[in-house]
Amino acid sequence: MSAKQNTQEVTAYKPYSWQAILEFRAMWVLLALGLVLPFVISKPLATEIMIYALFALAFNLMLGHTGIISFGHAGYLGAGAYAGAMVVYYGGVGVWVSLLAAMAGGTVIAVLIGLLAVKRKGAYFAMISLAIAQMLYFLALSPFKRWTDGEDSLKLPPLSVDFPFHIDLSDQLSLYYFVFVIVALAVLVQWRILSSPFGHALKGIRENEDRIRACGFNITRIKFLSIVYSGLFSGLAGGLLAIYLGAASITILFWMTSGIVVMQTVLGGTHTFMGPFIGTAVFLYLRNAISNYTDRWEMWVGAMFMALILLFPEGIWGTVMQKIGERRRPSAS
Amino acid sequence: MLLETKGVCKYFGGLKAVDQVDFTMEQGKLKSIIGPNGAGKTTFFNLVSGLYKPTHGQVIFQGRDVSRASMNERSQLGITKTYQITSIFPRLSVFENVRLSAQSRVSMFNSWRKAYSYSAMNNRTMEILDHVGLADQQGRIASELSHGEKRYLEIGIALATEPTILLLDEPTAGMSPAETVEATHLIRKLSNELKLTIILIEHDISVVMGISDEVMVLHEGKKLAEDTPAKISANETVQNVYLGKEA
Repeated sequence: MSAKQNTQEVTAYKPYSWQAILEFRAMWVLLALGLVLPFVISKPLATEIMIYALFALAFNLMLGHTGIISFGHAGYLGAGAYAGAMVVYYGGVGVWVSLLAAMAGGTVIAVLIGLLAVKRKGAYFAMISLAIAQMLYFLALSPFKRWTDGEDSLKLPPLSVDFPFHIDLSDQLSLYYFVFVIVALAVLVQWRILSSPFGHALKGIRENEDRIRACGFNITRIKFLSIVYSGLFSGLAGGLLAIYLGAASITILFWMTSGIVVMQTVLGGTHTFMGPFIGTAVFLYLRNAISNYTDRWEMWVGAMFMALILLFPEGIWGTVMQKIGERRRPSAS
Repeated sequence: MLLETKGVCKYFGGLKAVDQVDFTMEQGKLKSIIGPNGAGKTTFFNLVSGLYKPTHGQVIFQGRDVSRASMNERSQLGITKTYQITSIFPRLSVFENVRLSAQSRVSMFNSWRKAYSYSAMNNRTMEILDHVGLADQQGRIASELSHGEKRYLEIGIALATEPTILLLDEPTAGMSPAETVEATHLIRKLSNELKLTIILIEHDISVVMGISDEVMVLHEGKKLAEDTPAKISANETVQNVYLGKEA
């Protein structure tokens, strides 16, 4: 520290808002709940929730934290799934290498979309990302059929992990905990990224893009990096999905995947960190429960989605936080 | 000379919003730009801030031609502006509003270190909040502040970029007369205490006359006069086109 210029003491700072502290605790509570989840609901459903929750969090890096709308996230997830599956199928590599390849796959597509569209705003970015994701879908479906097996999906042999110790991934419970540990680590890394100067700059862009530019930030590069991180974590989710499904399936790349992740994220609350996690859990649980009774689950899930959004305009977790804020205000000020 | 414009012009189609304006700015001075609505004040201001690039002419900052430099490049060089319409980060805390702006001088892409672990930046933020009188509001969400407080926060955000020149676009817009007096004193105080060079845009003459070292009058995009406040008040041409109508 340099010598004090004046005798007047500068007021002490307390930078962490109650929202940030609450979110931090909520993250640990949810991760702790994840430890017991496969004993509450079925193991495959629990695994699916973890994978899609990671995907939704990655998606929300762009939508909720940076304010970039993407309708092409199926592209990142699918690129991750196919990259992860293909290195196993053709290269015979292990699960860890497969996950690295999946992250690389998601990142490559993110770099591509970023280079093409980072300067486009709002609906224009959304449309370009959708177009590229659809392009990947059709490429995987037909011209690249020799490598992707098209509609038949690229099936993987039973997998196991040998490092640091043996895990048999064909056992449902082992698979769940394998996925859970990776997702939990990825969640913690994302929290850390969002707590960094870079993460704070993202929030600045979301809040007021013109102002943050006038402060001297390079918006284009920051947005680009946000897209790349989103692609990286989406790719990781895709790699886990391929392992969980035992195949890289063409439906992952279908545009509906991009739509569902929007619903899951909005349902939980875009302006929160763990909202997408909660939204995904609620969405997939409802879908699973309803599809036991009817094949037309889309209609019922759609109706429930609308009801929930009317009840929770800021998303489930977002609205809960808002209510807590309203209760605090009279006493706080 | 800290800042100079040489024959700077900005045309929007056939409209000459700013036409052949020569302007100089010395270090540490407080200079105001006045003129009726539509005189080209804000356009001229944005030629300096970098939002617009001049159609003709040059903007020279510290001896270097910055006419083509973008707004964030100029901000990094030390030219920072505030907005006529309050422009803050509404859902972030008051502290974070200023800290984020200070961060632009330190780190943009570090994705691992904690943003609040830079103690120099935190201290700087609190110094600025003390300067603009918002230190005790640091934990509030910016959107909850009163209009006047938001205007101060706006100045705080600009100060955090450690500007060499601070461009203030109608900082008292929307304030009550009492708030306006307080705000003009604050601006003079910042200029004195921080040795800050300030360019102030106003359409309300009474705001600028008391605090400015010099005043430039714009009229229909052209420079009408540039002098001390006393001489400007006495200037007949100025009185005719501008002051006269006010009375």
